[in-house]
Parts: sequence; C-alpha cells; structure tokens
Amino acid sequence: MKELWESGKIRIFLSVLLVLVMLSLFTRNVENNIVSTSVNTLTYGLSKVSAAAKERNTDGMSYDELKDEYDALSEANRELRARLVDYYDVKEENARLWKFYELKKEHKDYQFVPATVLRRDSNDEFYSFTIDKGTASDISTGDPVMGENGIIGYISEADANTAKVVTILSPQASIGATDKASKDTGIITGSSKYADDNLTMFAKLKSEHKVKTGDIITTTGISGIYPKNLIIGEVTDIGYDTYDTSYYAVVKPYEDIRKITDIAVITSFDGEGEILKRNSD
Amino acid sequence: MNEKMTSFFRYLAYAMEIVLLYVLGTTPDLLPQLFGAKPTLLLCVALTAAIFEREIPAMVIGLVCGVLIDLGYSNSIGLFTITLTVVCFIVGYAANNLIRATFLNFLLYAFVAVGGIFMLYFLIRVVWAGVDNYWDYFMNHLLSRMVQTFVLSIPIYFVNKFIYHTLGNDE
Repeated sequence: MKELWESGKIRIFLSVLLVLVMLSLFTRNVENNIVSTSVNTLTYGLSKVSAAAKERNTDGMSYDELKDEYDALSEANRELRARLVDYYDVKEENARLWKFYELKKEHKDYQFVPATVLRRDSNDEFYSFTIDKGTASDISTGDPVMGENGIIGYISEADANTAKVVTILSPQASIGATDKASKDTGIITGSSKYADDNLTMFAKLKSEHKVKTGDIITTTGISGIYPKNLIIGEVTDIGYDTYDTSYYAVVKPYEDIRKITDIAVITSFDGEGEILKRNSD
Repeated sequence: MNEKMTSFFRYLAYAMEIVLLYVLGTTPDLLPQLFGAKPTLLLCVALTAAIFEREIPAMVIGLVCGVLIDLGYSNSIGLFTITLTVVCFIVGYAANNLIRATFLNFLLYAFVAVGGIFMLYFLIRVVWAGVDNYWDYFMNHLLSRMVQTFVLSIPIYFVNKFIYHTLGNDE
C-alpha cells in the first residue's frame, strides 16, 4: 500500500474520482450538458448504423434466397438510378409522416417532429429509448411522444441530436387520463408488474368508479402538458392497490411500446402550458 | 513487436471489444430479453479487463465502460461510472500485488462485484427512486440481469485473457 501511495497512482485515482463526482453533479443538474451531448454525438453514428442494420436484417434467409433478392434489387436499382438522388430519403420520410397524417388532419394545431428509435437502454426494463432527434429539431423536455395509434410517453431529456423517451410503461410516467365511457379520471403510470406485458395502469380511481373492461382511456389535457383526447389504450382488468388503498385499471396501449421504431414528438399544440402559465401569473 | 506496440494493440483490442459490446447491448431488439432482462455487457468487459491490467489502465477501462452505461440510462454520469472506476482501480491493484489473477479468484471477485454494483443500483435507482413493487422488480428483472451479467463475464474473461497473453504486458 505504501508503494502504491509513493508511486502517485493513488493521487491520480483520487483526482479522477473527484473530477467524476463533480461531473456527476454537473451532468445531473444541467440539462443538455456538454458531456452527454459529446458522448451522444460520438455514439450517434454508431447507433444509427446498428439500428438501421437491425431493421434490414435478413430474417434467416438462405444463400439462394438472398442471391435472388440481391439480383432483383440490383435490377430495381438500375431502374431507380435515373430518379432523384434523394428519392429514398424522401420516400422513407413520407412513409413515416403518412402514419401521422390522419392525426395531423384531425388536430391541425399539433406540430409534429417524426423520429426513429436510435437505441434502447438494456438497463431499463420499462422500455425507455433514445430517438434520433433533439433540441435542434425543436424537441424539448416534457414533449408528448406519439405512436401511430396513441400516446406512448414523453421526452425526459434532450440534447442537440438525441432525446430520451420515458414510456407510459414506466412508473416515472404520470399522465392525467379519463375514461371516455364513464368519465372517471385518474393517472396513467407504469408498473414493474405489468410493463413486460405491454400494460400500464390507470391509477388513483375513486372507490365509486364505473370503469369497466373494454373502456377507452384518453388524456384529459387539463394540465396543459398533454393535448386533450389523445388515445392511451383500452382497459383489460380492474384491480385494488392495497398499499395505496385505491382502485386501478390495467390498460393495454394500442401500440406495442416494447417494439416501436417510428414515433412522432408533439412539439406544440393549442392550449400547451396554459395551466402552468395561469399558475405563474 | 516492441512493448509499446503490443500495448497499443492490446488497448485497441479492448476499445474494439467495448464498441462491439456497446452496439450489441444498445441496438433495439437485437439481444433477446431472458427472464425479463438483458445482461450489462460493458460491466463484464470492465470487470474482466481490470483483473489483467495495472491500476491506471484498469481504472480508465472501468471509467469508459461506466460512462457508456450511465449515458445509456440518462444524460448524466454517476453510479456506474464512479463504482466501476473505483472497483477496477482496486482490482487492478489487488491483482498485481495481493492476489493472483486466476480463474477461481476471478469468479469470486466477479460474483461479489456484480452483486455489489447491482445491489447499489437497486437501492439508488429503484428503492430510493420510489419505483412501486420493487421486490417484483428485483425478482423479475434485476436478479436475471445479475445472473446473465455474471455468466457472460466468464467467456469475456477468456477473451480478455487471450488478448492479454497474446499482446503481452507493458510492465
């Protein structure tokens, strides 16, 4: 041990540790900080390539099948060369936007930013993920995130090029919601008990609630954080929380959040932040 | 090949291993979940490389792996960065001065380190963070991740042993 101290290694170690503790405090308190932005920028390309490669996997095709496909694609490629160089990008973007077209038609006030899932954190069992758009695309913390069939979560953190999404399967989520049939209100929050089955909870229901299986749950929009009437999912079961002494309903989102790849972030909508503004006035 | 060159190629091999396992661990839907969890592959790399390296290189490998694990979870560095930096430094020192880097010693140390780090993770990010049904979470997710991480650290130990013996030691 004496040798270790004399060699100066322990001083290097303690200095590094001190810097790490300071960086930890800094990155925890400063959103969009330089450390996370730098590392995320460095790993962005890598994640993009691996995610794209996974999306275009061969699904266990044989050599002959792959060769046939290759020949067919080579032929198609020759025909398509004559077209615009950015045709594929436009087509891909168009396909992504098409999914959200109906929603946009219905709610003209929504401003959407389409994005794709860049990576999923293996340490998070509530299916949080990182998307390939960030503050440079007007995305900010708290923005609602939609799938093709309803809300799937919100932006928890954002840097210039990427943003992290906490899904409604996570206990971190807390979204004001209402049962369209019975008008009961509660909070949508995830649970470790249900997340693996792509289920979330409609919690804090009153004891005299009238929620029943099959009811559709939507956002209330009263906080001004989420737009009103965004579909969350359908009630599959009713339960009673003995710790919380309140009823809850198990809700199945219309989207399989565990496998989703294309999403849209709502960056602004009519009524956004009204309550917050009113409270600050 | 002189010592500097072998060291360079050894660290390059570690770097490539880290990048490969980072990609494997973070690519959506690539690795299947077993019993509700996936292994933390970078933890295996840090723990296994540390037992062959001296204190400072071991600490740097632990730090890099820790930063990548932490930034996958949130935009801040913290738990994994600090614990892996400390653990790898201590193991780097112990493996060169106090214990022999044998497979049996590795198994014992990896078992304690994986268990300790994940229990700390459980206390800080699950129990204190107020996740409901935390015992359900522990039994259905974390336990599986601990076991998978420990088991996968065994083949990675042999990979790193191969790298170390092939590309020598700079001391």
